[in-house]
Amino acid sequence: MSCYIELNNVSFSYPRSYPRGKVAINNVTLHLRQNEFTALTGPNGGGKTTLAKLAAGILKPSSGKVLICGKDSAKMTLGEIGKKIGYLFQNPQQQLFALTVAEDIAFSLELNGHDKGEIARKVKNMLELFQLTHLQDSSPFNLSHGEKGRLALAGIFINHLDYFILDEPTTGLDVERKNILSDIVKRFSGHGIGMLVISHDEGFVAQHAKRTIEMVEGEIVYDSSKDLRP
Amino acid sequence: MTAAKTLDPRTKLIMVLCLSSLAVFIQDIYVLGGVLLASFVISVILKGDLFPAFKQVKRLLLLIVIIAVIQSLFAPAGKTIITIGTFPLLTTGGLIRGAEFILRMAVIVVSATIVATSSSRETVQGLVQWKIPYEIAFMVSVGIRFLPMLTEEIRNVMLAIQLRGVELDKIPFRKKLKIYSYILTPIVVGTVIRAQKLATAMETRAFRAYPRRTSYMTLKMALPDYAIISFSILVSASVVVVYYM
Amino acid sequence: MFAIEVRDLCYKYSSQERSILDKVNLAVKKGEVVAIVGLSGSGKSTLCYCMNGLIPHVYKGELQGDVFIFENMVKNMKIADIATRVGTVFQDPDTQLFSPTVEDEVAFGPENLCLDREEIGHRITDALEQVGMTKHRLASPNHLSGGQKQLIAIASVLSLKPDVLIFDEIMSQIDQIGKKRIKEVVKNLKKSGKTIVMIEHNLNNLDAADRIMAIQEGKLANFTGELSGSGAVI
Repeated sequence: MSCYIELNNVSFSYPRSYPRGKVAINNVTLHLRQNEFTALTGPNGGGKTTLAKLAAGILKPSSGKVLICGKDSAKMTLGEIGKKIGYLFQNPQQQLFALTVAEDIAFSLELNGHDKGEIARKVKNMLELFQLTHLQDSSPFNLSHGEKGRLALAGIFINHLDYFILDEPTTGLDVERKNILSDIVKRFSGHGIGMLVISHDEGFVAQHAKRTIEMVEGEIVYDSSKDLRP
Repeated sequence: MTAAKTLDPRTKLIMVLCLSSLAVFIQDIYVLGGVLLASFVISVILKGDLFPAFKQVKRLLLLIVIIAVIQSLFAPAGKTIITIGTFPLLTTGGLIRGAEFILRMAVIVVSATIVATSSSRETVQGLVQWKIPYEIAFMVSVGIRFLPMLTEEIRNVMLAIQLRGVELDKIPFRKKLKIYSYILTPIVVGTVIRAQKLATAMETRAFRAYPRRTSYMTLKMALPDYAIISFSILVSASVVVVYYM
Repeated sequence: MFAIEVRDLCYKYSSQERSILDKVNLAVKKGEVVAIVGLSGSGKSTLCYCMNGLIPHVYKGELQGDVFIFENMVKNMKIADIATRVGTVFQDPDTQLFSPTVEDEVAFGPENLCLDREEIGHRITDALEQVGMTKHRLASPNHLSGGQKQLIAIASVLSLKPDVLIFDEIMSQIDQIGKKRIKEVVKNLKKSGKTIVMIEHNLNNLDAADRIMAIQEGKLANFTGELSGSGAVI
């Protein structure tokens, strides 16, 4: 299991792009492996989020192919993909759904008909791991930005998956909360879970990344794993 | 300078008002066709963005069929084309009604492209200079600005739910309701929070400091505006008069 | 005379049990740049709201102590007067810009003050020049990057010609390039004599500051190089 997500000659442009017809991703070939913590950096508007969404099968390429565990992403439903890849959106606001913190972590398992006792156990673990236990009965929408981010992560991490894509997980986190996130990320990496993390937080990237990719104007301009060429 | 840039947004609004009133009052398919042609020509001259408008009209095509059938069933007129037993399923009268409906809708959609050739700021300013209270005009403009964001948000929320490994079409029916609440909650909450932040930003920039406010942008009508407005009103009035005589 | 003076300020949101500000004292001289650092939930933003009059004019709650702007008591000033004295830029660029063009956005404040058109025109030109965004005057804010949006947010406050600027974590959602440009603008504003209070939780963004204060659990003190409890050091 060396390759988790494969992007082969992928190009993409948004139907309502500005200026019109602008290519967001231009002929990118990229293999993301499960045993690597990969950081995706570059200026805003360079195509980082677009690339991440393509890798997660949320966007389908205009040309080229994206394979998720060997399967063509264009032929997978989002629900199917969600069982392979966890995806954290930039804005935690848009991925909190339930009326209490505990329910928000649990709901995907509940909807999929998992065993009640098992759900309760898993939720408890997640609450502890993300330091949210004291907030389990609060409304997700009254949390601070950092707490919302942690909750969104907990909701994704409760599905025991092998690969996660996180879009700017450190935005709005102060030093202390960033350390908590770092610990969690380290623990998951240690268990062989793969991650693609978009971040412009240099410290965070330097601390975790085994591989760094930089995107500018829809193209990969730097890939540390190819840096060893003579 | 193009016609779209030089014409006052109010002139465009009046043209559109004339066109859409005609579309509502007139029941003759040929005259309606003429009104649509006129709107179309005006939009082309003003360089309106007609392509998305076509797509919208295309989506309505199924509706014409339905309306044509309903009209034929309940108010059969003209020759019968298809019958089920003794019931006329489709009549020429019904077909014409359906066509009229689509013409009306098309006039309204094309009219919207005429208004859209002015920026929303200009249109709001036009309304303000027509003595519509600024707060109301402003709300319209903010609405226009944030509507695309809202649709994007709904899309993102749907995505996020599915990406938690929930396959929407495999959820048992009794749990479906729960899903609607999961979709609606973040959108409502998000909208309220955004509105609050927006209000705060406006407040710190002296919004409603005084009962009135000045406006950096001012619109002035020129001779072509007056000419076009008079012409539009005159023509539409005569069409109505001739039609009802 | 101080540009901003905060005396024994305590504040409690009506929905919460604990006070978020606890006897805060702060005096900022004219032309000084003071940075306030602190963890989330420490009361940084609340202190901002007290300095720009949103508390008590918009947000209610239990307020004790006083805030003065050039010796005027904020709670007795009208919102319009405060707006011409104190300009605030917030964290999220997308919820402070609401106009279809940059020009309209920057004009919004002066329009509210009922200035005449010519004056508004001058102010737009000046403000955009100060943030280096002149060539985007007719652009739609939707088509700008996050950093550029923040520069427009700064310009739309500068057009009110405030003496004091409050920046509430304005770089936290911005990429490296954007941060660099914003920092330059902040330095230029300092040179032009503006008094600036900047709230930050990223200790790398404090280049322009003359003085750094730390807020912890509602108490404000001189920054010693460490935010306690977390072991987080610069």
